[in-house]
Amino acid sequence: MSKFQRFLLKRLAISVLLTVVAVSVIFVVLRLLPGSPFEALVTSGNLNQEQIDEIRAMYGLDQSIWKQYVNYLGSLLTFQFGYSILRSQPVWDVLEPRLINSLILLVPALVTTAVLSSVLGMYAGWNRGSRLEKASIVSTTLLRSTPVFITAIFFIIVFAYNLEIVPALGMRSIRATPDGYLETFVSLDFLHHYLLPFTVAVLYYSGDFLLLARNGVVEKRGSEFLKLHRAKGLSEMEQLARAGRNSMLPILTYFTLRLGMIFQGLILLEVVFSWPGIGRELVLAIQQQDYPLVQAAVFIMALAVIIANLAADVLYAYFDPTVSTSGGGSA
Amino acid sequence: MTLLNVENLKVTYATDDEPVHAVNDVSFSIDEGVNYGLAGESGSGKSTVAEALLGLLPGNGTVESGTIEFNGTDLTSLSAAERRDILWEDIAYIPQSAMDSLDPVMSTGDQISQAIHTHRNVSDTKARDRVRELFEIVGLDPDRIDDYPHEFSGGMRQRVTIAMALALEPDLIIADEPTTGLDVIVQDKIIDKILEIQERMDSSLLLITHEIGVIAETCDDLSILYGGKVMEQGSVDNVLVNPTNPYTMGLKNSFPEIEENEDPVTIPGSPPNLNGEPTACVFEDRCPFATEECGESHPDLVDLPNRNHRSACHRVKEAAQLRRDADDPATWNIPDDVDEGSDRGEVILETDGLEKHYEQSQPLLDKVRGEDPDYVKAVDGVSLSVRRSEVLGVAGESGCGKSTLGETMALLEDPTGGEFTFDGEPYEYYQDGNLQEFRRKVQIIFQDPFDSLNPRQTVRKLVGEPLTIHDYRTDEKEQAIVETLEKVGLTPAEKFLDSYPHELSGGQRQRVAVAKALVLDPDFLICDEPASMLDVSLKVNLLNLLRGLADAEDIGIVYISHDLASLTQVSDRLAIMYLGRIIEEGEVDRIAARPEHPYTSSLLSAAPEKDPTADRTRVLLEGEPPDPVDLPSGCAFAPRCPKAEESCWEAEPAIDETGDEDHRAACYFPESEDGPEPSGASAVDEPEFSGSANTDSVGD
Repeated sequence: MSKFQRFLLKRLAISVLLTVVAVSVIFVVLRLLPGSPFEALVTSGNLNQEQIDEIRAMYGLDQSIWKQYVNYLGSLLTFQFGYSILRSQPVWDVLEPRLINSLILLVPALVTTAVLSSVLGMYAGWNRGSRLEKASIVSTTLLRSTPVFITAIFFIIVFAYNLEIVPALGMRSIRATPDGYLETFVSLDFLHHYLLPFTVAVLYYSGDFLLLARNGVVEKRGSEFLKLHRAKGLSEMEQLARAGRNSMLPILTYFTLRLGMIFQGLILLEVVFSWPGIGRELVLAIQQQDYPLVQAAVFIMALAVIIANLAADVLYAYFDPTVSTSGGGSA
Repeated sequence: MTLLNVENLKVTYATDDEPVHAVNDVSFSIDEGVNYGLAGESGSGKSTVAEALLGLLPGNGTVESGTIEFNGTDLTSLSAAERRDILWEDIAYIPQSAMDSLDPVMSTGDQISQAIHTHRNVSDTKARDRVRELFEIVGLDPDRIDDYPHEFSGGMRQRVTIAMALALEPDLIIADEPTTGLDVIVQDKIIDKILEIQERMDSSLLLITHEIGVIAETCDDLSILYGGKVMEQGSVDNVLVNPTNPYTMGLKNSFPEIEENEDPVTIPGSPPNLNGEPTACVFEDRCPFATEECGESHPDLVDLPNRNHRSACHRVKEAAQLRRDADDPATWNIPDDVDEGSDRGEVILETDGLEKHYEQSQPLLDKVRGEDPDYVKAVDGVSLSVRRSEVLGVAGESGCGKSTLGETMALLEDPTGGEFTFDGEPYEYYQDGNLQEFRRKVQIIFQDPFDSLNPRQTVRKLVGEPLTIHDYRTDEKEQAIVETLEKVGLTPAEKFLDSYPHELSGGQRQRVAVAKALVLDPDFLICDEPASMLDVSLKVNLLNLLRGLADAEDIGIVYISHDLASLTQVSDRLAIMYLGRIIEEGEVDRIAARPEHPYTSSLLSAAPEKDPTADRTRVLLEGEPPDPVDLPSGCAFAPRCPKAEESCWEAEPAIDETGDEDHRAACYFPESEDGPEPSGASAVDEPEFSGSANTDSVGD
């Protein structure tokens, strides 16, 4: 077994362990919440005790907590997320479109901003003290410190209500009745709705990447190896590329971690734009104590973060030759 | 023919206050195929000259005036793009710190072929072939061209940068302190390599260094810089043998050498403030021979009749007289009261078979199986004793475990075996709740005076802090601080109390670090390369200070360094360390004059000499120290030893294999039982470098 394989195996094992811990925590926390999913039905007085017991038995909630836990783990392993209590629909049928909606908004936004702001940040760091650097820092700090829903509302006011360029809410116009993802996403109407939330998401993520890239390059700028590169006769831009390559690792880590967190959606953004994403769905499900839905959603989110972490480790080992893949060696 | 001609070069750095005049009217010229040396202390502007030549000045640096003519074209008049074309194609550069001058995320081979691709339109395979060829030339394994910088040791990385400099066979190679930070043996090898290659390629070399010895051995001509001015220039033989400038005399006298009996003489004071253009002679305030005239103008360079030698001194006509005076420490206002340190007190610290083994991490599976982990034997059975008023020097290459030995002696690392006695009490006594007492009595001074002082504390706080920690002399704190500062030569102490570290010069900072250690009146001092970052004159200052402390304060000192020359100056006894073991130990004079162990003699022979007429036999040790985890059986030095025989591989020689009480060595075949010229013979045996011009020795 090569060193790298062993490293990968170790990481995988850790990831599996983390996943088990995460799903167990979800399970316990949900049961600790006061009340139950049927509280609302009971208080409305429409159901008698017998009917409630029947429903509870149907969902397996009358069994001992241990049995519930074992069933839960078993179902997760086979990716059976069960039946949503409130929506009376299989959980996956509820989650899947919401997840896709979130991803289609946030993944392109994240990739765009990671590339653009990193390049801009590197350029700004290289030209330290320039007007571009100062302006970029001020504007991204402003964007970072303003809550995303404020920015979003501001954009809605300007572009949707005042200029009336784009619609303010939703993913498709109310009259549209698309069938399937292809029809939903490949249309001018969708693009029209997409522009505003996409722009806000890009701006929201931009600050971190820009500052990371800028700081990395500023730190590397005076280093000896760049001096040697310069002495070799490399042009400004070639030197900047080397400085950028050397400061890429923190950006890479941050990108993969952010990518994992995208599966949680951007709750505030989704709420403001009425974007039918997974974040909004989760908030609703928690409010209504829809156990199966919350469990499944949180499981997917945790899994995404853990997988992203794993990816970050592997990419790190690939991009940084000085990272020892033997894991904790003393060399 | 003249290759490079620098005429009245003036460089300034813009700062928030006044501009710094780093280089003032420097002129020199380098002929084709000549080795040229630029020498001077830090702050003399020598690196700035190199950066100006290469066009690598940092953003705030500008060439104010002057011309840099290279092959007939004035470099200063070229556009940025035209300049880039000349870089590397015609002028290559060997940078200062090999450790961090290679791009860490690019394989070494790629970095070299990048230089080739930038200037030549060649195919990838051709470039790679060239890289393999270059690796071979500089003595690296051509199969390692895809390895990354961190997989090479410091000396090997410097070889990579040399290979890079050779890639396009430039006319001029500028080497900026190419060996600083490397230990003597590696330094010697690198210098040897540069010379050998440069001879083959017939290019010129501009060598910038503060080590006069290195220039004396390698260069034909040199300029001595001080305060951005050329103080003296000419052929190495003339300038270094018969210096006519007081600064050159001082610099030469402060360069420590092994076979010198007198203490080196330092230049007191610190480099000049360059905030304005110099009006007086830049060396005036440190020069013992300064007259009124010196305060009025900086002298011009004057040609000395009938030889290649120029000097900038108003009193150049009296040079012979000045030379005689300069050898006397009293001239430089240095009290010459160092007694011979013969009255050593009782033994204060003693170790017997001291061990520090580090366990290597092992895979979980092996741990479960109960397999024994591998150990790195950093310190492996060291027996030493240090008396009061005695300075024990510990010498060895980097990686030999000397720093770990220091830390273990200071109990910063727990010993894993062996006996340790301090002040009559064993290790267990101190471990058993008396560590605080030990920490007060034993102080350690670390390598770097720039990092070891908290930049946000004043000198008063820095020096007073140990007092508070140990609740020692707290009622007379101020007095204790002042006394200690004066003891280390920071007088008047009141002037320094409220300064912050950044307001002090390097030498003053190191003195504050020493004061911090001394304020608790320790009985024992461990110094781990305290002078390795300092200029020669500051280094000598510190050595004299420590020597004086040992004599006057009755404390025992362990001085750890790879620099044998300064060790022989400061120590009473010397211990040579190799791979965690002491392989030779004894009185300094005996070891310096007649080393027994072949490793010691190669260490001694690796130190450069400042006299260009002296011919030195190079003993170039083959390879690098073996992996400390997987040591060969028998003598650890056997794989690199030119004299190793069967028996060396079979059993390890004990420290008292050879010699007597005052001088013992762990060797079966000590040098003293050999023919009259052991080192010369071993140099010829050396396979890697045999046949090169440097191994033919002129016997003494």
